Amino acid sequence: MALLIQYTLISSAVLILVALGGMFSERSGIINLGLEGIMVFGAMAGAMVMVLVPENWPKAAIIVCTLCAAAIAGMLSSLLIAVACINFKADQTLVGTAVNMLATAAATVIIKAFNTTRSHGSDFSAKLDYNRGYKAFIIHTSKIDFNWFEVVGLVLLVAAIVVFYKTKFALRLRACGEHPQAADSVGINVYAMRYAGVLISGFLAGIGGIIYIAAANSTWHFDYGVAGAGFLALAVMIFGQWKPERIAWSAILFAVFRSLSNVYTAIGFLHALPISGTVYNMFPYIVSLIVLAFTSQNSRAPKAEGIPYDKGAR
Amino acid sequence: MGEKISFFRRPAVQTIIASILCAVLGIFIGYIILLTMNAEHATEGMQAIITNFFKFSGNSTVLMKYMGSFLVKSMPLILCAEAILFAYKAGLFNIGAAGQYTVGIIASLYCSLALGWNWFLCVVAAIAAGALWGFMAGLLKAYFNVNEVIAGIMLNWIGLYLCNIIIGGEKCMNQTKSETFDIVSVNPSAILPGFIQDFFGGNKYTTIAIPATIIIAIAILVVLNKTTFGYELKATGHNKEAAKYAGMNAKRNIILTLVISGAISGFAASQFYLTGMEHYTISASVPGMGFSGIAVAFLGGLHPIGTIFAGLFVEYITLGGQYLNTNYYNPQVADLVIAIIIYLCGFVLFFKTLVNRPAKVKVNANAEPATKSAKAEEKEV
Amino acid sequence: MEDYVIEMLHITKEFPGIIANDDITLQLKRGEIHALLGENGAGKSTLMSVLFGLYTPEKGVIKKDGKEVKISNPNDATDLGIGMVHQHFMLVDIFSVLDNIILGSEPSKFGFLTKEEARAKVIRLSEKYNLKVDPDAMVEDITVGMQQRVEILKMLYRDNEVLIFDEPTAVLTPQEIDELMKIMKELAAEGKSILFITHKLNEIMEVADRCSILRKGKYIGTVDVANTTKEELSSMMVGRNVKFAVDKAPANPGKEVLKVENVCVKSKIHSNDSVHNVSFNVRAGEIVCIAGIDGNGQTEFVGALTGLDDISSGKITLCGEDVTKKSIRYKNTHGMSHVPEDRHKHGLVLDYTLEENMILQRYFQPAFQKGGLIKKKEMRQYSDRLASAFDVRSGQGARTIVRSMSGGNQQKAIVAREMDRDHELLVAVQPTRGLDVGAIEYIHEEIVKERDNGKAILLVSLELDEVMNLSDRILVMYEGEIVGEVDPKQTTLQELGLYMSGAKRDNGKEAN
Repeated sequence: MALLIQYTLISSAVLILVALGGMFSERSGIINLGLEGIMVFGAMAGAMVMVLVPENWPKAAIIVCTLCAAAIAGMLSSLLIAVACINFKADQTLVGTAVNMLATAAATVIIKAFNTTRSHGSDFSAKLDYNRGYKAFIIHTSKIDFNWFEVVGLVLLVAAIVVFYKTKFALRLRACGEHPQAADSVGINVYAMRYAGVLISGFLAGIGGIIYIAAANSTWHFDYGVAGAGFLALAVMIFGQWKPERIAWSAILFAVFRSLSNVYTAIGFLHALPISGTVYNMFPYIVSLIVLAFTSQNSRAPKAEGIPYDKGAR
Repeated sequence: MGEKISFFRRPAVQTIIASILCAVLGIFIGYIILLTMNAEHATEGMQAIITNFFKFSGNSTVLMKYMGSFLVKSMPLILCAEAILFAYKAGLFNIGAAGQYTVGIIASLYCSLALGWNWFLCVVAAIAAGALWGFMAGLLKAYFNVNEVIAGIMLNWIGLYLCNIIIGGEKCMNQTKSETFDIVSVNPSAILPGFIQDFFGGNKYTTIAIPATIIIAIAILVVLNKTTFGYELKATGHNKEAAKYAGMNAKRNIILTLVISGAISGFAASQFYLTGMEHYTISASVPGMGFSGIAVAFLGGLHPIGTIFAGLFVEYITLGGQYLNTNYYNPQVADLVIAIIIYLCGFVLFFKTLVNRPAKVKVNANAEPATKSAKAEEKEV
Repeated sequence: MEDYVIEMLHITKEFPGIIANDDITLQLKRGEIHALLGENGAGKSTLMSVLFGLYTPEKGVIKKDGKEVKISNPNDATDLGIGMVHQHFMLVDIFSVLDNIILGSEPSKFGFLTKEEARAKVIRLSEKYNLKVDPDAMVEDITVGMQQRVEILKMLYRDNEVLIFDEPTAVLTPQEIDELMKIMKELAAEGKSILFITHKLNEIMEVADRCSILRKGKYIGTVDVANTTKEELSSMMVGRNVKFAVDKAPANPGKEVLKVENVCVKSKIHSNDSVHNVSFNVRAGEIVCIAGIDGNGQTEFVGALTGLDDISSGKITLCGEDVTKKSIRYKNTHGMSHVPEDRHKHGLVLDYTLEENMILQRYFQPAFQKGGLIKKKEMRQYSDRLASAFDVRSGQGARTIVRSMSGGNQQKAIVAREMDRDHELLVAVQPTRGLDVGAIEYIHEEIVKERDNGKAILLVSLELDEVMNLSDRILVMYEGEIVGEVDPKQTTLQELGLYMSGAKRDNGKEAN
């Protein structure tokens, strides 16, 4: 049970951060289907930092460097979406899909090149072993291993709730996702706000990416991408009705199902069931389909999402 | 406005130019990537990708054999792209093609290896499996308002895990080699009939998949442009509300479209795995065929015939990755180039509207083209 | 030397393919109400968008208090004290009234909103100018009239001294219009300068001091309202004399074509019915009009009648047959034609060609298909015949992509298609919305011709002039119910207004 809680906590952190990222982007009017790809970029940058940091660095420095690298990589890759969707009015679904494919391919190529160079030609794999840096994040207690990632997740969640409900920035951001013409008519720069929304989603999804790969293992094969976690986060966001506190609750619900696949062997009665482990892998996806089927009917997405804003044609 | 449209203003010409531009730009960026990875061998690497299997051009039998294999690998990609294109015309982004392809693999391999069915029944089973997966996405979209992209992605993963469970079982998979049994040795009746194999240097994998793909592309072209069904689908794709106003059954059309799209994707899987060319191995990620299909469909200008050429091009580049010198580069560079090309496809619409802008006068609600209404008025005075 | 607060001198603004403003000069005196008159498409909105910084003109200068200024975005306009009430309200539905008012000029400390002083200011302003609003209500829950007051408060909150009203009366009842006129006069008396964009002559005569007229992007002239007449204004606006009334003989109603009994439609937004217990009939050879303010259930009722939306209870009989539960297609092929409210949303597939749009409800009929294949030749011939019969103009004939056609021609194409189909009943919803006078007259004539050919016509319109001129009977809809039936020859605008605002009902009891 302790193990289940441990996995649920870390999975929640991932889903909350990435879903919040999706929320900020969609609230500004851009559907970010590239979350999956942004996570891959964030994960790659974070993992590379964990591999590269000198062992004698203080824990805090390792943590800060890793998170910064992931966040920056996430934001840079989200620019791919921002430029295409905001300035060039590209099809947001197409661009998101392209970024996902680009991310997996680029991460594979980069990590392979990275490994090849470091090993002087003996390691061609797309696998990174970041166990060393990863240790810095663990907080041991008697029963459960906590993790600095969870702390980061919680802090960012609280920050997101405050920003979303209390600030001038969020009021303007939401106006751009609902009625960009109205925002423009009172002098709000719709393009700038949408850039901000997408960049925030890059920031959060980048961090979500490094947490995702570090959650279960101390190694990661980058040719796998992040196995649909970005899309699960989108389902969490829809289930959470584009509101931060509801996203947090639905993320925890999804995280429980996701964690079952990691820990079912440790839970006696689940292990005793005559079900292959792969079935548990399917669980979160099946659950999210069912949940979406029952919540999408009345879901209220930001009105202007997915529609490119054209200043000239109003 | 005259009847004559200048050459570069023709939509078809623009589409072709835009697609070629994407492809060239993608290759150029790929070259830059090679340069950054290893500047010394970049030109050589790019040449390897582009020369591809034509490096065997000295020996025509070998060349044709490679050509045959190249075509065999291209066909499922083209079919997936046709499936995506077909749904896209009806306003649906069938990202679930990857999952429909995956369940097509399940049906093809299970029916051939475990059940011992002949090729025709296996193909039918694959079509049915793909159609079922499409049906689920369609049902969720039409009756539960679930975005087809999200539903498609979820179904992709469910399909993948199902495939790992079913095909990973003892009936289909050699547990020591962890790959599926050879269809040729287990059940030769499940192998698709050959297609001018002698022409392709005795390539035993060239099958009826090749003509079948071309027939399907032409069929889609005809359905979309000549039939009432295509008329309905495109109307729904352009304007769902207007389609409803016209009395078309939007829900039925959504489901039907995704069923057909899924059927084509499932068919694609059968047309590859029933050649016996490749084994299925347990995978941690959804087969990329359905995703590359998106690239192909867009690169082909969303035209059924253009898609054939785009499919050949994309497969050619992918294949080219394997000709890279692995001492300096890894073959996934080719995947990266493909991904960049899809990303660039996002800018195609922008490029086209830029060229078209002066022709389309729709500025704001209140500035209706004054000249035309003026003419109309003068007449009525 | 006159005291001009705003001067727009020789403004030229081009869009690809058209010149929306051609050398236009407009001078606004301090404290006056200045009307800007012109037809749809005359360039009024473009000119105001230039003043408001939404468009940058190719030529011309703008002066504020005699000094040349550059306005390149709405912030510049706000800084100069220029505010605008847009024709389509610029309000965010899911925000509160207060959030909408402060949006863009939010009081804040370190980025955090400090709404208390803003709330106090809004309440003070709303009391001073008698603009009653509830600061905490969600915009989606309040009436159109209140939404307009929110828009006005937005300008006052920003201490604007030049107020632009873009077609502000289109969505209001006659009584609400009177109220607005009073507010405008008060604002002017307080020293605010008002630009009032409209195409309604009565309102100009009532409230404006001066009037500038635009036609087809060109400046026609400026007149003192005190020294002019409606007729003079209208001929300046259109360029010829306009008939105000539609020529038509008295109606000669025949058999009952449409019968509606106790129709109810559930609202998608709130728990009440959006259409409640509506019953009436339409006979062959008469034009029955449903009048009312926008948002009182007309759209929902037409949706239920035509099948676009679900009906929750009641019965609809078309030509003696119960069609309540029938599909849209069944109604389409059994006597119902429908000119929809929104031609872009419902009426046309904009990316289809004209000929493809012409067969939108008929592509499956044997005349246009055989064995599932569309008969292209027949489609072309049919489209050409309709286009010439109804004077639909397009760049490349039947092959023109409809998106590239003008709004007037798009609407004529729909009218042609719907009138040519086999039908007994024509449901026409705002058939002349956004069109110029020429096209409006044409469509009105066609509708009357249709009636004289013995068709039944149900007209739904927000334009009171259209309602009064065209209909043989008027039904008024208020909050989803038919609250009265009047004869256009015996009623007045005032009486209609009382019905439309819910102040009067037919069943005897006077509401308040």
